Amino acid sequence: MSRKLIIDPVTRIEGHGKVVIQLDDDNKVIDAKLHVVEFRGFEKFIQGHPYWEAPMLLQRICGICFVSHHVCGAKALDDMVGVGYSTHNLITPTAEKMRRLGHYAQQLQSHATAYFYLLVPEMLFGMDAAPEKRNVLGLAVANPELVKRVVMLRKWGQELITAVLGKRMHGISSIPGGVNNNLTAEVRDRFIKGDATIPSMEQMLDYAQEGLQLFYDFHEKNRVMVDSFGDAPALDMCLVDDNGDVDYYHGKLRIIDNDKKIVRELDYHDYLDHFSEATEEWSYMKFPFLKELGREKGSVRVGALARVNITKSYSTPLAQAALEKFHAYNKGKSSTKAMHTNWARAIEIIHSAELIKELLNDPDLQKEQLVVAATESMWKGEGVGVVEAPRGTLLHHYRADKEGNITFANLIVATTQNNQVMNRTVRSVAEAYLDGQAEITEGMMNAIEVGIRAFDPCLSCATHALGEMPLEVTLLDAKGNQIDERRK
Amino acid sequence: MNAESDLTLDYFNDDSALIYGIGNIGRQDDGLGWAFVDWLASTSACANAEMVKFYQLNLEDADLISHKQRVLFVDASKDTAINSFRLYKAEPKMDFSFTSHAMSIEVIMATCQMCFGKIPEVYVLAIRGYEWELRIGLTEQAKSNLNLASTHLYRTATALTSKTDYCLQ
Repeated sequence: MSRKLIIDPVTRIEGHGKVVIQLDDDNKVIDAKLHVVEFRGFEKFIQGHPYWEAPMLLQRICGICFVSHHVCGAKALDDMVGVGYSTHNLITPTAEKMRRLGHYAQQLQSHATAYFYLLVPEMLFGMDAAPEKRNVLGLAVANPELVKRVVMLRKWGQELITAVLGKRMHGISSIPGGVNNNLTAEVRDRFIKGDATIPSMEQMLDYAQEGLQLFYDFHEKNRVMVDSFGDAPALDMCLVDDNGDVDYYHGKLRIIDNDKKIVRELDYHDYLDHFSEATEEWSYMKFPFLKELGREKGSVRVGALARVNITKSYSTPLAQAALEKFHAYNKGKSSTKAMHTNWARAIEIIHSAELIKELLNDPDLQKEQLVVAATESMWKGEGVGVVEAPRGTLLHHYRADKEGNITFANLIVATTQNNQVMNRTVRSVAEAYLDGQAEITEGMMNAIEVGIRAFDPCLSCATHALGEMPLEVTLLDAKGNQIDERRK
Repeated sequence: MNAESDLTLDYFNDDSALIYGIGNIGRQDDGLGWAFVDWLASTSACANAEMVKFYQLNLEDADLISHKQRVLFVDASKDTAINSFRLYKAEPKMDFSFTSHAMSIEVIMATCQMCFGKIPEVYVLAIRGYEWELRIGLTEQAKSNLNLASTHLYRTATALTSKTDYCLQ
């Protein structure tokens, strides 16, 4: 009798998802899918709102990467009012650097959350460890000093976000054509030197390096598993500068294959000419792909692993040294291994911290030229923004009517870009861990979740009253009858 | 440590105290925690306390409370055993219920104790809510419960019940 395994919801990802694995009579995996069962509708209900509200409202899609949405939307607004990258009338250096500062702080904080809270516990305790142990609280029991540093790392990033955007969550700093504040020397010095409540910049760099060392130690002890788990080939995509190195705020979209040959390089304003989106009846999340190559060959991976695969170098020394080690280990090829995403994320934590350090020492942040004023004659009414969010390439595209009310909005978030490759990863892990197994253990089911969590998918942020968030694992037979259920 | 029978809003009225509202005002009654803090801020009952409103608890809140001596968390509750509100003293407990979206007060306390070697007195005010859809505004029942909770705490600022686990049924 064939049977179906369901993990619903997948835990420790941002939002709710469900995994269904179909086994045949011999317990061979015949299908594996990641379903996204939430519908948000932001693109619809933003319609009719004044264009300038978009980056404020749409950042509320997420409680984790809201700065990315805010900055991305601001870039689209720049275009709309005629001062964006689609024109030759760019925002001021102070405005761009303030946006970058908030963006890098977000990346530091978000990566630290994903890496230390969600991934490191499994790295240290193993996928088979008891669920009550393999989480950050188990980590706190085993190594309170490490968790204390993680708390301070996250807090430092969070406080920097607050300093730039005015609030811990869903703050506002970017406006059409610039920003509404700079960084005072006093605030800058607090983050460089630290005080009684936050560590110094140098301490942050130490903590970031300790994070990468955790991966090295884990890799050393688990080389075979790390280098084979969740192998899912796909093209890699990210924003790059003129040198072909990653730029988290702006650049061209570069897409490479596993041999690192450039498959496509494009101005992101032209994304509609290059990408199409497939839909499936079993998921609300679409499947973007390069039109010319089709869905099977043209699906891309975005996020930390894609970026580390693509970028040739970093401008900062500590991240550059880590990058060289990564590239040498993978012998010039793009890595397609899910666990290497953790490696890439740890490298980007260091890179983010170093970029923040550079910016904090840049006197442009204290200058007063914050906005390029737009005139009515400059109005374009359409704009596209793209940034590299922590989870990968994020796109906002808006159109507005003559009155300035939004008539169209399209958001392609990183998790959507990764949809196809996440499904491939689920299939890969299912075949490795479940194929032919008569008994399905909790550890095997967790391996599927580990594969998904490597992407740190952001499916949505939902309400959270006290005591909500169970994990239900349901076992159904071929006819859909429930024959087993687990809840934790 | 202050005996709970002596607990009043005055007890939180200095800068070593924290009033922490948890919730999401875009989700109807999930906004109860914030609404309580807004009400409190409009009175002079805890004018000297630090008040914050956040969507959810994060691990770094362990650091936040480590700098305080007394903390009052206020959150909405779906617990059907609570008719209006419940006020109780919390104890640290590593319950391993962690997800990125639902971290318990008890776990924050335990983490604070483990990582920072100290822990404040923590009380929880759980106010019963009923509707959690994407909409701004409390339901009438939730407003009533908020009113009961705030009136009770305000009125009992000088004469709180002696029960250690107060539950208005």
